[in-house]
Amino acid sequence: MAAAPPVAHEITHGPSFAMLRFDLAPNQTVIAEAGSMVARHSGVNMEVKMNAGRSPGFFDKMKAFVIALIRKVIGGETFFVNHFSGPQGGSVWVAPTLSGQIAHRRMNGETLVLSSGAYVAHSGEVDMQMKFGGLKSLLAKEGAFMLAISGVGDLWFNSYGGIHPVDVNGSYVVDNGHLVGYEGNLTFNIKSAGGGLLGFVASGEGMVAEFSGQGRVYIQSRNTGSLVSWLSGILPG
Amino acid sequence: MQVDIAYRPAQAMARVSLQANESVVAESGAMVGMSTNVNMQTQSGGMLKGLKRMFGGESFFRNTFTPQNGPGEVLLAHSLPGDMTVLDMTPQGYLIQSASYIASTPNVNIETKVGGFKTFFAGEGVFVLKATATDAGQCIVGAFGGIQEIPCDGTLVIDTGHLVAWDANLEYSVGKSAGGWIASFLSGEGLVCHFKGKGRIWIQTRNPTEYGGSIGPMLPPRNG
Repeated sequence: MAAAPPVAHEITHGPSFAMLRFDLAPNQTVIAEAGSMVARHSGVNMEVKMNAGRSPGFFDKMKAFVIALIRKVIGGETFFVNHFSGPQGGSVWVAPTLSGQIAHRRMNGETLVLSSGAYVAHSGEVDMQMKFGGLKSLLAKEGAFMLAISGVGDLWFNSYGGIHPVDVNGSYVVDNGHLVGYEGNLTFNIKSAGGGLLGFVASGEGMVAEFSGQGRVYIQSRNTGSLVSWLSGILPG
Repeated sequence: MQVDIAYRPAQAMARVSLQANESVVAESGAMVGMSTNVNMQTQSGGMLKGLKRMFGGESFFRNTFTPQNGPGEVLLAHSLPGDMTVLDMTPQGYLIQSASYIASTPNVNIETKVGGFKTFFAGEGVFVLKATATDAGQCIVGAFGGIQEIPCDGTLVIDTGHLVAWDANLEYSVGKSAGGWIASFLSGEGLVCHFKGKGRIWIQTRNPTEYGGSIGPMLPPRNG
């Protein structure tokens, strides 16, 4: 099967307040995170769907629904998506909620794992699968649910702050709260930054992910957890 | 009045240069700095007008800045991080989302329009100001995030939380984002504004309500 043609797009207003515009060809479809639409030409239709992957079976739908419920409770995206397309084509503008950058990646069969909230939009023959990071990741609060993306097509993802790619060759350590995504051929271990309980408490670095292998890791220059704890400290009690 | 906007797009600030006896009217709290010869006068334009403004999500008072005995300058900024832009007055005028209004020349008449029951009920009030002038003038507006001008030629749908301003000749109506209310809710888009006609629309690349709604639940609860 021939790969779907790329979607014409432009990322503007980065790195602080990035917005993404799609210029859809007639009947071309782009799928975006629920709630991210800023504007669209009226000729472009919007249809809300549960994000259960392409041609999901009954079991996949149930699984997606349960995950959507859990995610609703623990936070993160709702996992409903909006499908945009129109017989005449047209433009759609989308923007993430927090301040930050948007990056585009053309997927060619590899796997990219995104952390919760990093997904913006995709098009083409792209598959998405929710991954549970294990009990250790729950402890670290971040990275409990990751989104594994594979296939051929366009993918857009966002960060809180700027997006900084790191090409890992060997190993590299990333603070959990700054992790945006990583290529699927990398493996990682969640551990305490300073080693042991004291290191976890005293270093102020919380939990980190130590990657090994060869591949790209995307990190963000700011961390939502830090913003929240700074704000919490100065709010009136 | 000469306006230069610096520190765009993330932390924009407007430097307004005024000739002797020229004035600028600004939203209460927008002033960052000014020459010492600039006189600031606070006015509510009458109790009823002030109350109507407050209801529309703006402040009760507006300030008029006028330099005495020669030229002077006033620095103005928005409360949120983002860009600012100057709208030159046109015969049809502008509709401005109330939180985006920062300042205008004194000849610009600013009228609060209450967005209607439906928008009020949905808690996502689209309170808009109608800015009109019979001769040349300017309005300064501010955004949360970047500002993008989108030309409308035909029809366009825009999330109400991203609106900054639009040409007043455009027809607009606020409604749900998808076909049905359930689909609208699931789509996460809340209310949208349907525009019709030919004109310009300025949008902001971030939605303040959404931003707050995302960070707010992570904060500790208020104790009384």
